[in-house]
Amino acid sequence: MSALLHVVGTVFLAVAETVGALTVLVFQLAWGTLRLQMDPMEAWRNLYKVGVKSFPIVVVTAILVGAIMVIQTGQLVAEFDAFGLLGWGAGFATLREVGPVMIGLMFSGRVGANNTAELGTMKVTEQVDALRALSIDPLPYLLVPRFVAIVSMMVLLTIVGDLTALAGGALTAKVLLGVEPALFYHSIDEYLKLGDFLNGLAKALFFGVAIATVSCHYGMSTEGGAVGVGRSVNNSVVASAVSIFLFDYVITYVLK
Amino acid sequence: MIEFIDIYKAFGPKEVLKGVNLEVQKGEIMFIIGQSGAGKSVLVKHLVGLLRPDKGRVILDGEDITDLSERAFYRIRKKCSYVFQNSTLFDSMTLLDNVALPIRKHQHVTQRRARELAMEKLALVGMQGEASRYPADFGDGMRKKVAIARALTLNPEFVIFDEPTTGIDPISANIVDRLITDLSERLGVTSIVVSHDLRSIFGVADRVAMLYKGQFVLDGPPSAYRTTDDPIVQQFINGRPEGPMEV
Repeated sequence: MSALLHVVGTVFLAVAETVGALTVLVFQLAWGTLRLQMDPMEAWRNLYKVGVKSFPIVVVTAILVGAIMVIQTGQLVAEFDAFGLLGWGAGFATLREVGPVMIGLMFSGRVGANNTAELGTMKVTEQVDALRALSIDPLPYLLVPRFVAIVSMMVLLTIVGDLTALAGGALTAKVLLGVEPALFYHSIDEYLKLGDFLNGLAKALFFGVAIATVSCHYGMSTEGGAVGVGRSVNNSVVASAVSIFLFDYVITYVLK
Repeated sequence: MIEFIDIYKAFGPKEVLKGVNLEVQKGEIMFIIGQSGAGKSVLVKHLVGLLRPDKGRVILDGEDITDLSERAFYRIRKKCSYVFQNSTLFDSMTLLDNVALPIRKHQHVTQRRARELAMEKLALVGMQGEASRYPADFGDGMRKKVAIARALTLNPEFVIFDEPTTGIDPISANIVDRLITDLSERLGVTSIVVSHDLRSIFGVADRVAMLYKGQFVLDGPPSAYRTTDDPIVQQFINGRPEGPMEV
């Protein structure tokens, strides 16, 4: 029994320590962002790396998401001959839920993991200490630019993803169900509200904050060489995915 | 002047430094020697706040810097540079941008001017011809020379060299040794050099201190290491596997 309590206590302390560190870090990052305390060259490099390099995979993911939504909704729509609701059904699910979540998960795997690996490698090879030794604060130099790049690009690429998902949905509706794009878009225009789109963007914003903070935290707390980097990347991806679903639940509940 | 006063440092159960005392005079070239894992790098990292002592004081130019905050240490690090054992160049940047970075961040000059100044520092170590290449293109030795150039960008009063000649060819090692001597003679820079390189130790050191089991066993001019009867020092200097030293 005491062994069980010891394990529970140890796990609780570890979780509390991580949550505490993440909370402090997110405030530091937000404060650094608001005060524009960041290296402009690093910010530019990260915006390019995160935004431009993620663009193709976001577009491909979004087209497939839109197509899948139409296929799923299409069965029901065809049963009731309610083709006029197809755009709404697919769009509602894509904009509010599936689009931001899928792009968030893809971002966590591609950008978050890369961020943790890069920072973790810098940490174990003493490059972070080298920055400190050169009197350069790693927070504004390394972390704030990454935070700004990940959060802003997550939101912007979600907008891109939403639009391409709807285009992909319209194309799939035409090819598989014979629904004209005009009818598909009329359904979106008629039934979807701006709030549905903004709901998804709010999720994207929080997902971006979560991915950036989690990946920076695990990167900067890496210890133990290559094995440690692998462990940090693993923890970062898992924690980002859990954060995405947690935020998704809370935002969906609050903005329902 | 640099003073380490009664420094203790442990990592978990492993006690690395057990009451270390050391004074380094202005302009002096001080070598710290000892076995791998003896705590040489641990000791010098206290001077730039990368490690904090469990007990003891670190004094730099009369100022007690032991308990300074991380932010307050940035002022100290501008006058006290550290050349890491593993060179620690930033992989994502060219050699030139690596050296230009501290200039760009601290000297409020244009990027172009920062690069010009960085090129001058690269020329000091004979790497100006490779400025546009990346650290991954080079071996340890050449990276180390660039790291030395980077450490000199802010014209420090004190430089800590952590094994600067390990892994580099004899000619490059001589260039580094000459650089350390020039810094001391021409600019009055104080150097603390962590090294195993006997050629450097007997070539450029003003004073040598040997760390063993968390304390200094001998602190004196290089000549003292040739004449001492201490069996531990003799075993280390002659590189004998057998002897009283625990390996």
